[in-house]
Amino acid sequence: MNARLVFYAVAAVTAAALVSSVLLLWRPDVPIGPIVVAALAPSLVLGFIGLASRYLCRAMPLRGTTATRMITTHGGSAAAASGVWVLMWNASSKALHQTPPAFLPLFILGVLLYVEIVIVYYLFLEVEASREAEDAALRYQVLAREAELRAFKAQVDPHFLFNSLNAVASLCGSRPADAREMAQRLAEFFRLMLRVGALERITLGEEIDLVSRYLAIEKVRFGERLRTHIDVDDAAARCMVPPLLLQPLVENAVRHGIASVVEGGTIDIAANLHDGTLRIRIDNPADPDRADARGEGIGLQNAAGRLSAVSDGRARLNAAEDAGRFRVDIELPR
Amino acid sequence: MIRAVIVDDEPPAREILREFLSAEEDVEIVAECANGFEAVKAVGEHDPDLLLLDIQMPKLDGFEVLSLLDRSPIVVFVTAHDDYALRAFEVHALDYLLKPFSEDRFRTVMQRVRNQMRQPRPAVAPLGSQLRAKPLQRIVVKSEDGSIQVVPVSRIDYIEAADDAIVIVTGGAKLRKQQAIGDLGNELDPDRFVRIHRSYLLNIERLDKLELYAKDSRVAILRDGTRLPMSRSGYARLRELL
Repeated sequence: MNARLVFYAVAAVTAAALVSSVLLLWRPDVPIGPIVVAALAPSLVLGFIGLASRYLCRAMPLRGTTATRMITTHGGSAAAASGVWVLMWNASSKALHQTPPAFLPLFILGVLLYVEIVIVYYLFLEVEASREAEDAALRYQVLAREAELRAFKAQVDPHFLFNSLNAVASLCGSRPADAREMAQRLAEFFRLMLRVGALERITLGEEIDLVSRYLAIEKVRFGERLRTHIDVDDAAARCMVPPLLLQPLVENAVRHGIASVVEGGTIDIAANLHDGTLRIRIDNPADPDRADARGEGIGLQNAAGRLSAVSDGRARLNAAEDAGRFRVDIELPR
Repeated sequence: MIRAVIVDDEPPAREILREFLSAEEDVEIVAECANGFEAVKAVGEHDPDLLLLDIQMPKLDGFEVLSLLDRSPIVVFVTAHDDYALRAFEVHALDYLLKPFSEDRFRTVMQRVRNQMRQPRPAVAPLGSQLRAKPLQRIVVKSEDGSIQVVPVSRIDYIEAADDAIVIVTGGAKLRKQQAIGDLGNELDPDRFVRIHRSYLLNIERLDKLELYAKDSRVAILRDGTRLPMSRSGYARLRELL
């Protein structure tokens, strides 16, 4: 809270205390002037005490604090604040040679004023929290958009296309039928990618279909070096996921994994649905001494960003490298 | 006769080169290699005239292969990446074929190869250090028995000068390489490797503490307890970095 707000808070509480005490304690036999003067000092003190109760309110948010704790803490501090307020009244009355007001109404007034301050603070905190929630929702939306855009740009490494076309050109000479098939597969893959890329959500089964088509093309390039094993259970295949979530990760598995290992290896993709959480694992061999691992970092960041955006931060993405294998684990609560 | 070696880790990419080359009557393919190790070995064994070389390959990339050759065939890079072209010409590659390439383009390249063959061949490969990625990410060491080791720079503790060679120390293991310590120092990431002494290049991630043992002279103590001498200018360089 900035200084001006604090000043207004103190001024408001002080004014409220002053006016209400004068209204309550005004007696026809006493002139109004001295009462106002006498009420000034205790009201100012109550204003500052009220300011301090802000910290109690912040420490005990409405949600997540038990009623007993709330009542005892605020009750205690209301009694203490009101005690100080009564004492100040007595002192200021004495200084002005007035009879101090009766204890009980004064004490109750102090408590009521304190409670009023607390209510105002809680209202203030609630407004702030709801504005923050709106901001967070907006931020997630913006993040989601950005991640979509980045994902779209990073979807496919153009060198995949160049190398695949080179393979097509190569097959044309020796195995024209295979060349034709490869050209068709490439076209189908890109068509499918453009189609699902425009959707909000697709099933994991559809994503796996896309990934399988991609891997089939890469198998022509890498031959024996690229082997795949895909194990997705039916319940998992029906789950909705953002499109092109796995595609860049599988592309990493080929580009930085298989391509870095002389003898190649198996890319393992597994997914299951358990206790309402979709778990996906991509596991591939990778040379721990490969020169450049930066590309995977970007792909992983993208995937993590999109996951976080679509799940309001509840999804997890973990990447680990160990003993020549690179593993990405995704957990997506439904 | 042009004796050629094909190097590419993708079978179809080798196949099209084989097909195009076999249409040239004066070309003989002496070896086909699927990775950088095989390439270094094949060039050593066959001393080819022409090396058709892919760049992105497992273990050793095309540039690393060149840095290990003790012969100097005519080099033509064959790659899908156009971003290496500048470096390719810095290593005096004759040409740069972008995948996929046309048969016409290939014929033109072969004509250039023939023209080049009529020139006297340089005695030593003018390749090597100055043309690899900067900063260097891996150091490639060829030992006397011909085996090749690839050391990621992150694994290096320090590098010590030994006569005209260097000794690379990684987790207690030592690898000897024929290179001047200053040349290597220029290629390494200057934010990571500091020349703390005329004879020592230190990976600062391994540094544990400095100890003063006489006025103005210090020793660097590494995480594993190794003590390395440090010169005054070395200390200044280190301080500047930290």
